[in-house]
Amino acid sequence: MLSAARAARQPLLSVSGLRMHFPIFKGLLRRQVGTVKAVDDVGFDIARGEVLGLVGESGCGKSTTGRAILRLYDITSGRIELEGEDIAPLSGAALRAVRPRMQMIFQDPQASLNPRMTVGSIIAEPLDEHLRPSRAERRARVFELMDAVGLARGFANRYPHEFSGGQRQRIGIARALALNPAFIVCDEPIAALDVSIQAQVVNLLEDLRAAFGLTYLFISHDLSMVRHLADRVAVMYLGKIVEIAPREALYRFPLHPYTEALISAVPEAGGRRRARIVLRGDVPSPLRPPSGCAFRTRCPKVFDRCHVETPPLTDLGRGRRAACHLVGRPPA
Amino acid sequence: MLAYAVRRLLFAIPTLLVISFIIFLILDLAPSDPTANLPLTIPQDVRQQIRLSLGLGEPMHVRYLKWLYQFAVNEPMHALEQLTGHHFSATPRVRVLSWQTRSPVVDLILQRLPQTLWVVGLSYVVGILIAIPIGIVSAVRQYSWFDQIGTFVSMVGYSVPTFFTGLLMIMLFSVHLGWLPSIYDTNLRVTDVASFWAQVKQMIMPVMVLALFNAAQISRYMRASMLENLTQDYVRTARAKGMREWVVVMVHVLRNSLIPVVTVIALGVPQIFGGAIITEQIFRVNGLGQLLITGIQGADIPLVQTLTFLFAALIVLFNLIADLLYGMLDPRIRYD
Amino acid sequence: MRLRHILTGASAAALMASAAHAERGADGQVNVLYYQAISIMTPYLSSGTKDIDGAALVLEPFARFDPDGHLVPYIAQEIPTLENGGISEDLKSITWKIKPDILWSDGTPVTAADAIFSWKYCTDPEGGCAQAPYYDDVTDVEAIDDKTVKVTFSVPKPYPYTAFVGAQSPIIQAKQFADCLGANAPSCTEANTMPIGTGPFRVTDFKANDVVTLEANPNYRDPAKPAFATLVLKGGGDAASAARAVLETGEFDYAWNAQVEPEILAQMAAAGKGEIISAFGTLLERLHVNQTDPAPALGEERSTVKHPHPFLTDPDVTKALSLAIDREILVETGYGEAGRPTCNLVPAPEYQNSPNNDWCLKQDLDQANKLLDDAGWAMGADGVRAKDGQRLSILYQTSVNSVRQAAQALIKQWWNEIGVEVELRQIDPAVFFGGDPGSPDTLQKFYADVEMYADNFEGTDAERYLGQWVCGEIPSPETAWQGGNTSRFCDPAYDAARAEMSTTTGDEDRAKMTIRLNDMIVNSAAIIPLIHRGRVSTKSKTLGGVEMNAFDSELWNVADWYRIK
Ligand SMILES: Nc1ncnc2c1ncn2[C@@H]1O[C@H](COP(=O)(O)OP(=O)(O)O)[C@@H](O)[C@H]1O
Ligand SMILES: [Mg+2]
Repeated sequence: MLSAARAARQPLLSVSGLRMHFPIFKGLLRRQVGTVKAVDDVGFDIARGEVLGLVGESGCGKSTTGRAILRLYDITSGRIELEGEDIAPLSGAALRAVRPRMQMIFQDPQASLNPRMTVGSIIAEPLDEHLRPSRAERRARVFELMDAVGLARGFANRYPHEFSGGQRQRIGIARALALNPAFIVCDEPIAALDVSIQAQVVNLLEDLRAAFGLTYLFISHDLSMVRHLADRVAVMYLGKIVEIAPREALYRFPLHPYTEALISAVPEAGGRRRARIVLRGDVPSPLRPPSGCAFRTRCPKVFDRCHVETPPLTDLGRGRRAACHLVGRPPA
Repeated sequence: MLAYAVRRLLFAIPTLLVISFIIFLILDLAPSDPTANLPLTIPQDVRQQIRLSLGLGEPMHVRYLKWLYQFAVNEPMHALEQLTGHHFSATPRVRVLSWQTRSPVVDLILQRLPQTLWVVGLSYVVGILIAIPIGIVSAVRQYSWFDQIGTFVSMVGYSVPTFFTGLLMIMLFSVHLGWLPSIYDTNLRVTDVASFWAQVKQMIMPVMVLALFNAAQISRYMRASMLENLTQDYVRTARAKGMREWVVVMVHVLRNSLIPVVTVIALGVPQIFGGAIITEQIFRVNGLGQLLITGIQGADIPLVQTLTFLFAALIVLFNLIADLLYGMLDPRIRYD
Repeated sequence: MRLRHILTGASAAALMASAAHAERGADGQVNVLYYQAISIMTPYLSSGTKDIDGAALVLEPFARFDPDGHLVPYIAQEIPTLENGGISEDLKSITWKIKPDILWSDGTPVTAADAIFSWKYCTDPEGGCAQAPYYDDVTDVEAIDDKTVKVTFSVPKPYPYTAFVGAQSPIIQAKQFADCLGANAPSCTEANTMPIGTGPFRVTDFKANDVVTLEANPNYRDPAKPAFATLVLKGGGDAASAARAVLETGEFDYAWNAQVEPEILAQMAAAGKGEIISAFGTLLERLHVNQTDPAPALGEERSTVKHPHPFLTDPDVTKALSLAIDREILVETGYGEAGRPTCNLVPAPEYQNSPNNDWCLKQDLDQANKLLDDAGWAMGADGVRAKDGQRLSILYQTSVNSVRQAAQALIKQWWNEIGVEVELRQIDPAVFFGGDPGSPDTLQKFYADVEMYADNFEGTDAERYLGQWVCGEIPSPETAWQGGNTSRFCDPAYDAARAEMSTTTGDEDRAKMTIRLNDMIVNSAAIIPLIHRGRVSTKSKTLGGVEMNAFDSELWNVADWYRIK
């Protein structure tokens, strides 16, 4: 039994050295021709009740990170401590036992719902699996969840395809909440929705967070949405975290040139615009990442050292960390 | 859905009429002479008389309309009269008669149907029962040795013709080992354990030969469909829900993967009725396929016409059934 | 001591075997396989061999042919002849006497009315009877009394054994077929598939194109026969697997028509379960030599008698071509047990097989070359003989068929060796044998120099068959290309001799006449006989009494079959 004090001090989730490498096979004999290092040595903590935003360009490994943390993959290496317990080595029944505590809301609400199950059964299925409630209990819980996400109870017997995108995402959220998880990965939960509904869903997520004391890893490529929602923000590039910082600090004083470039594209709160930094070139193939600093091929501030030495993610104090040769540890 | 089905069935009637006419046209244009197989010693004038007695002297549209009337009116009326014992008219009805056997084509078909349903139908069922687990395992363990072997076996099963596998089996099990009969005894009546066993023994080879062929095909569909579904987000959702892997695969993925496979299976059913011409021929199973082939060989136009038309009707029917099944299985599809 | 022991054992077994089949139905079931399944049980509505053979188990004629081609009385008491008064002096009628005690399988007696009915049935113009030629020239069939039938012909018939003779024209029961005359014939399914007959078996179950089940006829005239209680006549599959079912797996006792490559058949027989049996009828594989010019330049008149062939009308050329062929090799490669070399057009039965033409049996290339040299055909520089600017170049056609193509290739090679240029041509059988006057590729049009196919005649009497070689039978535009004289052979002496035959009576004299006509043809330039083709079937070693017959149904003596124990 953990004492209340220790529980408070301890982060809800602590990830370190997380690697998710996908082997790539080709040809008739399916030889391994390389490895995609989709997630390469990623680490961060999330405190209870906190929202960590995870941003980065498409393909940089955000979803993979989220899925790896939820152990939807067999990860290559790393530690994933959920409420102090390392779930990285778990499998089978032991893994299933921790699943209720962590859930995921997917980007595409249509694809993430089994088309042949009714809304009621989609929500109830995890209940049946983990809690084995009575019929009445199950019914009550399903209705409760539908109420919570703002779905009319009458919809319980309908199929997902009968709903609009926003409603489907509500189903997805209700389903994720069914087992009272502590931690939820929201993988671009609004990216597939109409702009008009995006705000509704974000507001719902905020309300739920408040109501149930949830902790989010909020994945998005929309920096303004992250700014609105997240307490802290991590920036990913080619499988690695390049900068992580509290929200305001990051948006005001981005340290990493990549973060700087990303932020420059976002209109500031007052509607003012910074000088836009346009990145040249394409993201390098994750199959063959560049030597040294992964960002050097596009970095406007690139210099000799970047070619040979990979900058470590350095703690810069006040909860800021960045991986760039140009940002040294401030003199003590 | 019912309205939809009825509408489709109504639309099928003109389609089938056109099909029946096209079949008739093709058979009529094809160089087939019912007297061609007669020995050279039969003189031309006798051949001509035989042709006339078969009704070949009449113009083509008259022959078509006659067939149509016999098939679409007389046959159902005859069946009704047989059932009710009541005769609607005093004159005997002219049924569709086979030229080769001079007996009613529909009776021949009814005589053949049970064997075809048993042997070919069972092989279909066995094929499905083999194919689905193989397809599932191959997809779940994609690129494992099981999958590789499965791919190889289905490639072989699909590309090696049944006459070859059939012959191979006969050589092995009938000639060398002497375990199984090479010739299907259609007179066998199952009355006791011994005769049941004999029936099983004579069905094993034809059923397995065809089952292998069917399984090869269906397991590929199953595998592809499973693979497509396995990467879907809802599978991830199910895993995230903490569902057992068995439940994830067998409930979530399988149920969705079966939708297209069930359609393919339904579309394949008419083939059962078509019999398996080659396999029935090899093992001498007196099914519909064999009936068709002897009809073709003997230029037995009424038989070939009727059988081909029935196959066409079944294809139309099972297309509809496949569509309806799709609608029933996949809640995303609604017919109104 | 031991040998004697074995011998006594064997004779005891033989004794037991003969004792065992002395009782009807004692030998259980016999399984017969026809890879072409039986469609109908009457020869009158089908002339497929399979249907004729199947019907022969049940339906019988007055007389059948035995394997030597001699007539054997079945329903009739004896064979009518001029000597015993059964044939009238003017040769215009024949009188058959029905065996007094013979019964239909339903127990009723066979009477003259049944024969009269059978004649009426097959000659009804609307019935489409496939065996109508058997009743050609018959003007009347009448009952002298209940058991005596007189058949009257419109013309003198020196050979009157056509109607009611052989497997093709049996007697059917008037009572059963009463409502089946003319246009009604096809709709009498019950009568057509389960006819009442006088034969050793009767049908108990008929599955069209599949299997016929028969049982011993309880009213069969010989109380001790048949030895088998039931007979199953199964159909379907192909020739090779049918032979296998007898020779290798032993599932069947008898399989009809083992048209299988000789080598494969011999291999199957090595399994020891059965044996290959054969019989030779009148089927002859031959080369017809065109006596008219097929040159395309002649247009409408090509292959007509207006233009004789530039070189193939010379009997020495044809003889040289014939001598160049090694018939033994053709048999070995293509026919095995089912063929033997012959130089005759009428190769069977034995009593009318000409003994005068053995010169072609041995290949003799030297003699062939000499014949051509003597005839003035000089070998050219390109290896092709020529005379007066005419090259010895031959277009040789036949139907598509693997055995025939192998023979074509061999013959081409041999002919090349004697300086004859050969071009080969293959025609789809449906077209070649189809007789369509609109097609240029029929065997009757004969737009080639030489063509190969097989032909035969039913029964044993060759008169009609030899009649195909008279001048009037030459196919031409005037006859819409019909007619059996494909070689365009025309010899007034032959026509006269052929006319003489139609007044010749008596087996012996007719055989002599047949030989005379045969010799006239085979020594002309018009034909090169190649292979006397037989029927090959297979039978189990445990099946006794089988006598393969090429002149009647193969199952002609099924009443005498028994199980060797
Ligand atoms: N199962 C997989 N096998 C191989 N490569 C993968 C797999 N899943 C993701 N990747 C690769 O990993 C990289 C990161 O993907 P992802 O995490 O989906 O990016 P994001 O969510 O940031 O857009 C991409 O290059 C992608 O192609
Ligand atoms: Mg993503």
